[in-house]
Amino acid sequence: MADDNGDNLPPGFRFYPTDEELVVHFLHRKSDLLPFHPDVIPDLDVLPYNPWELQGKAMSEGSKWYYYSRRMQSRVTDSGYWKPMGMDEPIISSSSKKVVGLKRYFVFHIGEPPSGAWTGWIMHEYRLPDSGSSSRSGSKKKGHPKLDYEKWVICKVYKQQNDDDDGDDGTQLSCLDEVFLSMDDLDEISLPS
Amino acid sequence: MRENMNISVNGQSRVPPGFRFHPTEEELLQYYLRKKVANRKIDLDVIFEVDLNRLEPWDIQERCKIGSTPQNEWYFFSHKDKKYPTGTRTNRATVAGFWKATGRDKVIYSDGKRVGMRKTLVFYKGRAPHGLKSDWIMHEYRLDDTTHSNNDTHVANAMNGEINITQEEGWVVCRIFKKKNLPKSLGSFINTSSSTLTSMLGSPSDHNHDHDHHDQGALEQIFQSMGGKPQKNNMIINTISSFHVDKFMQLPSLESPTIPTEDDVALMPRSGPDPNPVYNLDPGLTDWTALDRFVATHLSGQDTTEIMGYRSIFSPSSSTVHHHHDEIIQLPPLRSPPSTSSENKVYQSCGTLDSSHGGIGNEIIDLWSFTRSSSSSPSLGVDPLCHVSNVGL
Repeated sequence: MADDNGDNLPPGFRFYPTDEELVVHFLHRKSDLLPFHPDVIPDLDVLPYNPWELQGKAMSEGSKWYYYSRRMQSRVTDSGYWKPMGMDEPIISSSSKKVVGLKRYFVFHIGEPPSGAWTGWIMHEYRLPDSGSSSRSGSKKKGHPKLDYEKWVICKVYKQQNDDDDGDDGTQLSCLDEVFLSMDDLDEISLPS
Repeated sequence: MRENMNISVNGQSRVPPGFRFHPTEEELLQYYLRKKVANRKIDLDVIFEVDLNRLEPWDIQERCKIGSTPQNEWYFFSHKDKKYPTGTRTNRATVAGFWKATGRDKVIYSDGKRVGMRKTLVFYKGRAPHGLKSDWIMHEYRLDDTTHSNNDTHVANAMNGEINITQEEGWVVCRIFKKKNLPKSLGSFINTSSSTLTSMLGSPSDHNHDHDHHDQGALEQIFQSMGGKPQKNNMIINTISSFHVDKFMQLPSLESPTIPTEDDVALMPRSGPDPNPVYNLDPGLTDWTALDRFVATHLSGQDTTEIMGYRSIFSPSSSTVHHHHDEIIQLPPLRSPPSTSSENKVYQSCGTLDSSHGGIGNEIIDLWSFTRSSSSSPSLGVDPLCHVSNVGL
């Protein structure tokens, strides 16, 4: 972790932005050329990187990488491509209940499209709602989807965790704990003999 | 050392946007708890003291906010001094409920050296032993008693599940959070997007959509379609399924055989003509195979034969009925004429069925032919899965 990230925060503070924070604090201000603090997310809009090349280039925290890119940035690298999955998901402001951004999922595939091989690398691409201007009108309707190269997006990239190696220190119960929990139930229910 | 800071100055959070307090276990123990125990200043007052007996989990949530950012985990210091009058166990009861330890304590290492232990507790509403388990989980971290330098004893104690009394007092640092009720392997994905999940699993066929609702009440439907209210066996199955319903429901929908049509389905054992003779055997069969696997892996001996008693109704050839004589007797009363003896009940109800739907007798044979091949085999009573291979493929 770099020094300018945490602003002298004591141990235990980490960059775990919510979707809303990413959009409101980072993407909106970036797009509107407003100053923002902390300026921790780098621009990586020059050329597309393979996900495993992000270390040292993108902002990394907890096995996740964050960087700015451009909306129409090519999603093809020398090893594969980011394939979009599913549909856009709206990011709703918790205060105004308006749509402040959109989130889209990509999975990195190795090889040539469309026959590439699925990998565990996932990308969430955050962008501002499609509208005529870059204003934060929050309208849900897609106006004319402008193919605007200039539009910034934020990419969050991570490798999907295997079942067994994901953190036991987080806010999840380990498999073993889950088993113990269900055994607690067994204690209290007597099976008919 | 920096000077002591408050988490918020004039209501303004000192934590910059995007940053959360999400310490590692090592940081919790080695930095925060060690400082607390040594009564040293902590740079930023992020972990408050909480009297566990006075605050409910949902109150702790309010008390332990850090800045204004949304949280899904809360941290606090707690002093373990209250004991139950009956013994040495820590009293963790609140007004609304109590914290109950679960599982075994986990050893926390730092740089390969053992530094402390973690206890996992669950919040139950109400009073023991009738508490209602909630989704609130607490991880309670304690430092190893440093006056003991003999590491081997510690390890031995931990291995035996014994509790060193000296470690059970004093300051601990706790994290509470709400358990996510999601399948672990898919959890991260469902959290982020259900639409992604769907697309990753491939577009679901109409078939799956049609039978989605059957996943929920498969057992109930089977019992209902049997026309009775089984008491004892129903209870066994319900009891088990309540433990394992999560895993059970995670099973992907199997491709069900196309053999039974709606007319066939109407041939479920009944005691009389039904104005609305649709019983959805088709999805029932699908879930039934899953249930059988489940039963076979989770039950043994007596329980298995009891449940097989039900299954034999689904292969109602005469040979089956006699073959499973013993099991049939254990069946709860079906809705059949009260005069019949118990061993004839299934037989009887099938017969009634035949006469009331006599026009489709050919299909009866078609439907049953595949079960007969296996059900008449003497090995049926031994292999609870034998019809799976016949039906499922």
